[in-house]
Amino acid sequence: MASDKSPSLPLKEKKLLEVKLGELPSWILMRDFTPSGIAGAFQRGYYRYYNKYVNVKKGSIAGLSMVLAAYVFFNYCRSYKELKHERLRKYH
Amino acid sequence: MIQRMLPSNGNSKFSVCVCRMNGLVKLALQAVRILHTGQPSLAPVPPLPEHGGKVRFGLIPEEFFQFLYPKTGVTGPYVLGTGLILYLLSKEIYVITPETFSAISTIGFLVYVVKKYGASVGEFADKLNEQKIAQLEEVKQASIKQIQDAIDMEKSQQALVQKRHYLFDVQRNNIAMALEVTYRERLHRVYREVKNRLDYHISVQNMMRQKEQEHMINWVEKRVVQSISAQQDYLASTSKQVSPIKALSQETLTIPWFCFIK
Repeated sequence: MASDKSPSLPLKEKKLLEVKLGELPSWILMRDFTPSGIAGAFQRGYYRYYNKYVNVKKGSIAGLSMVLAAYVFFNYCRSYKELKHERLRKYH
Repeated sequence: MIQRMLPSNGNSKFSVCVCRMNGLVKLALQAVRILHTGQPSLAPVPPLPEHGGKVRFGLIPEEFFQFLYPKTGVTGPYVLGTGLILYLLSKEIYVITPETFSAISTIGFLVYVVKKYGASVGEFADKLNEQKIAQLEEVKQASIKQIQDAIDMEKSQQALVQKRHYLFDVQRNNIAMALEVTYRERLHRVYREVKNRLDYHISVQNMMRQKEQEHMINWVEKRVVQSISAQQDYLASTSKQVSPIKALSQETLTIPWFCFIK
């Protein structure tokens, strides 16, 4: 793709890891926050994970276990408020 | 995603995949065609990658280790992991409850099962996959062979067309022979008819001659008999000792010349 900024790509096509720290707010504001944009982002993320870890000839357990671990972690965060009361010591 | 070249602990320990059974022959249709006149980039579809992204402990992708490698070397992520766990435990951000022990036993059991039966389940799934692929390959080969046979037949028929002139030669020869035969047949017929007519004339002539001969002979015989009887009467009357034949020769009988012709 032809770039008009000579040293780098235009801001819109940069991935997150290539965005410099100063450009971060403008990059975030530039993203597509419409419902279809958000759905597209979820879809892209899903297909990125799927095609990297699941849709291969010799997959491994990692494709599934990472999803389960993320789910466990998410639920732990959700229920941390109640779990706080079951601590063994009061002061750490 | 390029596979990192740092060795993980042999092949991934957790090498089962339930996921192999998931989408056995699903294709990653990621190719897209911009313009309909452009190259159709849907075919051939790129083949599935052989292995997924590398993951350590079944939980942490290899990219994380690579990310920390320049700053902290090989042990960095492990030290980070240990420190994190100790911090979570000591600050009781992770609370130890009875659920912890059930989680430990469950996860231990799962890890044991995966490590023991992972490879065999994977091979089984691979075999199923291979069977499906072999079936499809068979169909493809059969179709290719069919089309190849059709092509060969077409080529041979086209080659036959080149030999058509022999056929024309044969036909020409046949026609020439038929013409010749007809010609000779008619010639023979003409000969027969002409011979027929000539034979007729000859037989008419022969018959005429025969009839004339017979008639002449009869006439001569009659005259001879008449003359003999006349001679006998004459002899009897005159009693001359003249042989009848001499008497005959004295008679002026006009015997046509052709009476002597056989």
